[in-house]
Amino acid sequence: MIRKKKCVAMLLAGGQGSRLGVLTQQMAKPAVPFGGKYRIIDFPLSNCANSGIDTVGVLTQYRPLELNAYIGSGAPWDLDVSQGGVYVLPPYHTGKTGEWYRGTANAIYQNIPFIQQFDPDYVLVLSGDHIYKMDYAAMLRHHIEHNADATIAVRPVPWEEASRFGIMNTDENGNITEFEEKPKNPKSNNASMGVYVFTWKKLYEHLVRDENTPGSSNDFGKNIIPNMLADGCVLTAYNFNDYWKDVGTIESLWEANMDLLTFPLPIDLHDKKWRVYARNFGSGPQYIADTARVSDSLVTEGCSVSGTVKHSVLSTGVTVEAGAQVTDSVIMPGAVIKADAVVLRAIVAENAVVEPGAVVGEPTGNIAVVGQNVTVHAGQKVAAGVQLEQ
Amino acid sequence: MSDLMGLIYTGEKGEHMGDLTSLRDVAAVPVGARYRAIDFVLSSLVSSGARNVGVIMQKNYHSLIDHLGSGKEWDLHGKRQGLVILPPYQTPDNIGVYSGLLDAIRSNQIFLRRSREGHVLVTDSSMLYTAEFDKMLAQHIKTEADITLMYSTNQGLKRNGSGHYLRLDEEGRVCELENAPMLPRFENVYMEAFLIRRDLLIELTDRAVSRAQYHFTRELLQQAIREKSLSIYGWRNENPAWRLDSVQAYYNCSMSLLTPEIRAQLFRPHHPIWTKMRDEMPTRYAADSKVSNSLLADGCVIEGTVENSIIFRGVHVMKGAVVRNAVIMQDGYVMPGAHVEGYILDKQVTVRDGVTLCAPPTYPVVIAKGTLV
Repeated sequence: MIRKKKCVAMLLAGGQGSRLGVLTQQMAKPAVPFGGKYRIIDFPLSNCANSGIDTVGVLTQYRPLELNAYIGSGAPWDLDVSQGGVYVLPPYHTGKTGEWYRGTANAIYQNIPFIQQFDPDYVLVLSGDHIYKMDYAAMLRHHIEHNADATIAVRPVPWEEASRFGIMNTDENGNITEFEEKPKNPKSNNASMGVYVFTWKKLYEHLVRDENTPGSSNDFGKNIIPNMLADGCVLTAYNFNDYWKDVGTIESLWEANMDLLTFPLPIDLHDKKWRVYARNFGSGPQYIADTARVSDSLVTEGCSVSGTVKHSVLSTGVTVEAGAQVTDSVIMPGAVIKADAVVLRAIVAENAVVEPGAVVGEPTGNIAVVGQNVTVHAGQKVAAGVQLEQ
Repeated sequence: MSDLMGLIYTGEKGEHMGDLTSLRDVAAVPVGARYRAIDFVLSSLVSSGARNVGVIMQKNYHSLIDHLGSGKEWDLHGKRQGLVILPPYQTPDNIGVYSGLLDAIRSNQIFLRRSREGHVLVTDSSMLYTAEFDKMLAQHIKTEADITLMYSTNQGLKRNGSGHYLRLDEEGRVCELENAPMLPRFENVYMEAFLIRRDLLIELTDRAVSRAQYHFTRELLQQAIREKSLSIYGWRNENPAWRLDSVQAYYNCSMSLLTPEIRAQLFRPHHPIWTKMRDEMPTRYAADSKVSNSLLADGCVIEGTVENSIIFRGVHVMKGAVVRNAVIMQDGYVMPGAHVEGYILDKQVTVRDGVTLCAPPTYPVVIAKGTLV
């Protein structure tokens, strides 16, 4: 007998994240390393843990292997409980009708039986491509207080960027009157963060109806939300004004990493009351050699630094040899920057090797990327904006 | 399924580590920027396949229990096996304070009887080391030894007037054992760890305690070697090891971790050292920070100068502060303009603006946990 849950979270983690280029060639976007010791998915999962939500379905589809291994039993996020916990939910065959997830709404639709076994009052829908700390419990309280059928987390974005987002127009009570997906002439700058709370009964009705509508994209933003509005449902906006960063592109992923190098931190990861948890691999402490010069940087366990590191993020187990220079860059777990190599405005992915004397990136222009397990050979130059793959 | 289990004895008498051990057991002493001493032997047992480990505790075992928890971090929280904490308790059989290792083992015989593994690795916690216990077990089985003693030829472990020293014959049999000689004559330093069949351990301890023998090494072992009543072999552990028996020894151990060769032997890719998680963010180095030849854990903020030092989790070295040849434990705070050299700051010590603490490396000084200087 499974205990009833007030709220079940569904984390959409199936997208390919094609705008991250070579970084998502071998793994799904939520599994991409971030901030030295985290992966993107650590943020929504830690938010769940800190918000007291102990039942999370993670919907996977694209290259799930690394993500599955990372989530494991859910222990790092205290999600290894006997009633609830974390469930990886890939699409599956049911005899004649098995199929891939066709859209965000369809992914939830296909998992209706999973949700129903917890008999929840509310369902929280999350996406796996943002860096933020958010109390979902407070959002749920807002939803309940407003007698809403759906609550959408919104945040102000710069007006000039508003046309890239789903924009919510609200009345004086904070109720959503109109939803515009990527409008040319936005009427407001309140963008949807892709975080939704639904009253499960209402969502269930609309998921079933949407599934039976021919030609629907089965998407929350395009179909479910507009349909609920048209149907007279109560939709409220929940304002969130803290740090929130989309890391769906190479540039934004790089920027979000660089954000962690400012004093004071724009997103407090030291906070003992709101830990961002990550899986740990038992690495030793970091060693900074006497030849090293480390400034304005983030360095974590298992790193060994003998070279010069300026304004950069070094992830678990990275080696920077003597004479190497790493500037304005993100070095992902296990990568090795050999003697006299230069890395500038670049992302070097997991276990890549930059051989002696190689040069990655340029002082200006787009971020250069070295893919997972790739070796940049001695003397080789990787120009700005180039993505080097195997 | 491994046939090896572990039994770690903590709380032995004769610790001289000052304030570092006034409130905690030597096994719980923080070491190596993010560990406690027990992590090394516990992780070695796990890497060697042991899944059933008992930890005998006495006296100040609060911080040890807090650290070990359910054993989850060492994958020792299984249903069939795992970490078993054996605190002292008072019954007619167990008076709560043990007279020696034999007494402690006999008092916890139920744990041994209930276990399923054929062999037990028994170790005390006076030394910090890693070991491939699986290799030791392989030799133990091959030689058909009754007891295999772990030893090291690391001369840094020798002490005048304390410790145990072994003479081995050509086949590796132990033929002499010196107990606390003023001048140790043998090169082989017994590491206070041995391997034995579980049923034999139960039998020997029961027999010895019933004859009022409580000390494993100087009573049971020495007698058995002298009388050749048991087949006792030595197994050489070539990994780095340290005897934690004084503030100076602790300091030297800490500083030796700055040597790349030592670190390479201690932190090997396939033998991770596990410890209790704190989920700290990576360490932040400010624009003006100057760090060299130092070992740091996560969660620190470094704005000042750090040289030849060991910095634990959550330490903040503020702008203009200088930390040199020092050990700063968890959540230490070195304020602007403070100068810390040659000191060992226990957890949560704050050194205020402009304060200078300076000790020579040959006489390191400990500041007790939570002190405001």
